[in-house]
Amino acid sequence: MSIPDETVGDERGEGFGTMVSTESAEDTAGVTDLDGGEELDDADDGPADVGLLEQEGDIAADYIEGLLDIADLDGDIDMDVEGERAVVSVVGATLDELVGDDGEVLEALQELTRLAVHRQTGVRARLMLDVGGFRARRRSELAEFGRTIAQEVERTGEPKKLRAMSPFERKIIHDAIASAGLRSESEGEEPNRRVVVFPAS
Amino acid sequence: MLEEALEHLVRGIVAHPDDVHVASRVLRRGNVLEVRVHPDDLGKVIGRGGRTARALRTVIGSLAGNRHVRIDLLETGEVR
Repeated sequence: MSIPDETVGDERGEGFGTMVSTESAEDTAGVTDLDGGEELDDADDGPADVGLLEQEGDIAADYIEGLLDIADLDGDIDMDVEGERAVVSVVGATLDELVGDDGEVLEALQELTRLAVHRQTGVRARLMLDVGGFRARRRSELAEFGRTIAQEVERTGEPKKLRAMSPFERKIIHDAIASAGLRSESEGEEPNRRVVVFPAS
Repeated sequence: MLEEALEHLVRGIVAHPDDVHVASRVLRRGNVLEVRVHPDDLGKVIGRGGRTARALRTVIGSLAGNRHVRIDLLETGEVR
């Protein structure tokens, strides 16, 4: 986020004062790694409970709609089930406030929305939130980037480490690399986790 | 609007939404949004490594037009 303020950056949590020490591991244990959709995607291929996914979509839509009302933002909400996850999309005119320069507001809002869903369903939500088609656009750009990298690695025969990316971005890259017949892995810790692309062996 | 938005976002994720209260306070160094939650919910609104708190701040900061907004999270009744 580009808050023009000296406290932003390396100490982004500063504004929350000293209460952080009271964090309860118990409270957060069930909802950790909520955006780890990347790893989860291969992990649970159980049958999708469409009823649950629709319920997730409804809860998420209420949560987002409430925010739009309060912030006086125009936006319509579309709900969909895509594969194994609920997708809630906000479409409307000017929604930059909910996306951010590089999608960081969207990621934050998605995280909160998943927590709101989790509170009501008791199930870890993998719901995807999109605003103004940001993810759809980003997805096609990243898939293209992934294909370019695959060609480069194939040509050079050398592994290539990419920049740090969000789980959403990494997932798209992994898929593009796999489609090109190469192998990729993620390494490092969030938020510096990055994809490494390997030549076919 | 920011208080209301923050209250909405926090109420949606806690076990005791009725105990969530947000107040805007003017301090020497600028405005602070002070969020009070049920003691059992404090860990939840902070999140692992502070990530939920950070997410709240990111969204509210953006709604504030990228002005810096300080958000303090406290337990109900906590004296500061």
